[in-house]
Amino acid sequence: MGVFRLAAMAWALFFWSLAAGAEGIPAAYSPVVILPAGGPDRTEFDLTAVAERARRESKRLYVYLGARDCAYCRKYESFLEANAKELVRYFAEYNYIVVDLRSALSVTQDKLYIRVGDSSRSYVEFQKVIGDVRARMLVYPLVWVFDGSLRPLMQMPAGTGTFQTVPEQLEILQLVE
Amino acid sequence: MRKARLFGLAVPLMFCWMALGALAAAEAERPRGLPSGVDHAASSPEWEKIRAKLFQNRNIDAASGKVQLAVPLRAPFGAAVPVKITSGLPQTQELYVKRIYIVVDKNPSAIAAILDLTPEVGQADFETRLRVDEYGHIRVISELSNGELHMASRYVKVSGGCTQPPNRDQLHNIGKTVFRLPEGVRKDTPTAAEVQVVHPNDTGFELNQITVMYIPPHFVRSIRVSYADRKVFDADVDFSMSENPSFRFNFVPRGAGELRAEVEDTKEQHFVGTLAVSLP
Repeated sequence: MGVFRLAAMAWALFFWSLAAGAEGIPAAYSPVVILPAGGPDRTEFDLTAVAERARRESKRLYVYLGARDCAYCRKYESFLEANAKELVRYFAEYNYIVVDLRSALSVTQDKLYIRVGDSSRSYVEFQKVIGDVRARMLVYPLVWVFDGSLRPLMQMPAGTGTFQTVPEQLEILQLVE
Repeated sequence: MRKARLFGLAVPLMFCWMALGALAAAEAERPRGLPSGVDHAASSPEWEKIRAKLFQNRNIDAASGKVQLAVPLRAPFGAAVPVKITSGLPQTQELYVKRIYIVVDKNPSAIAAILDLTPEVGQADFETRLRVDEYGHIRVISELSNGELHMASRYVKVSGGCTQPPNRDQLHNIGKTVFRLPEGVRKDTPTAAEVQVVHPNDTGFELNQITVMYIPPHFVRSIRVSYADRKVFDADVDFSMSENPSFRFNFVPRGAGELRAEVEDTKEQHFVGTLAVSLP
């Protein structure tokens, strides 16, 4: 029992350190930070509250899944930080609530779960249900653009490498396909 | 008199200043770098070379709409970019799409596929998946039986398609060639079919993550599809096709018969896939 409690505390401490660290979407974007529940074998992010808020406020969701130990995530976050002055107003103008799911590379697709209301689905199941072809492989960082019903507004690419310039980030916000 | 001349100069100058001011204001309003780098119809140095090699100085009509290409601006994975080709005319004995060239301008091997078609296709629409190595154009050139050339192109923003480590969990099934008829069979009418070959289609640019050695190239070279012993199409392909190369195509079943695909790869391995088709 003691070992389990210790492991749970270590896990909680690990994710607290994520929240406290510099990782994640820069504060200028007013992200809703969601920390995972569960343990290393089942890491669950609950989107229920942000989806309800998006519906209530008639907004879109820009959901970012980053990993604490992922260099490409830091690169994208640095890009957002460097261009916050220019980009923050476009996230607002195009009506997005930015959501920051904080994970780790050890959370692979078989360990990642997404909860919406009473339903908790594994990454692959969740992606299949919403019709996202990235079900095939989880690549960090990952971005979804959703409406308030968590319907994808556009099929997004794996990773963020193709929208790390201001014009390209705008293409994403404008849902240019 | 002199005053009038000065006034005559001042008025156009004032309009020029106003126009410049309006332009500057518009520029200031425009979000810096709004999507501007995407010109689907543009040429490229790579394309000019390929064009000269394949078509010399023949005229290529890029505005006729007789061939259309649908590709997402950003595909989820660079190693499997979905491509849909639609032809604007039915395949008849009198006039048909004789050949389709699929080009990925900036790939190490830019000519991804050359399809040699017959009227048995019924409607020269194809879908497949390509590797795209860097930002650039995908083009499809349709050659009609009367010699006309038509082109459609799309700029895509993906990269790394030729270097992404392949999914190697199907090596025991290499060469397995499977047909599907996703919409059933329709007699004497273009009927959709899919053919897929289980094959890693290794490019030679992929790194084995464990040995840190490059995986040698090993890819499908040709897929020849027939129905009831009549050629439907031959595809000469290379590693710009995704792993597990596939085509969605049409054929016209005029009676019961067998769909057959003969596949050859760069190790001179031959594979055959068949599907018996009965009519309703």
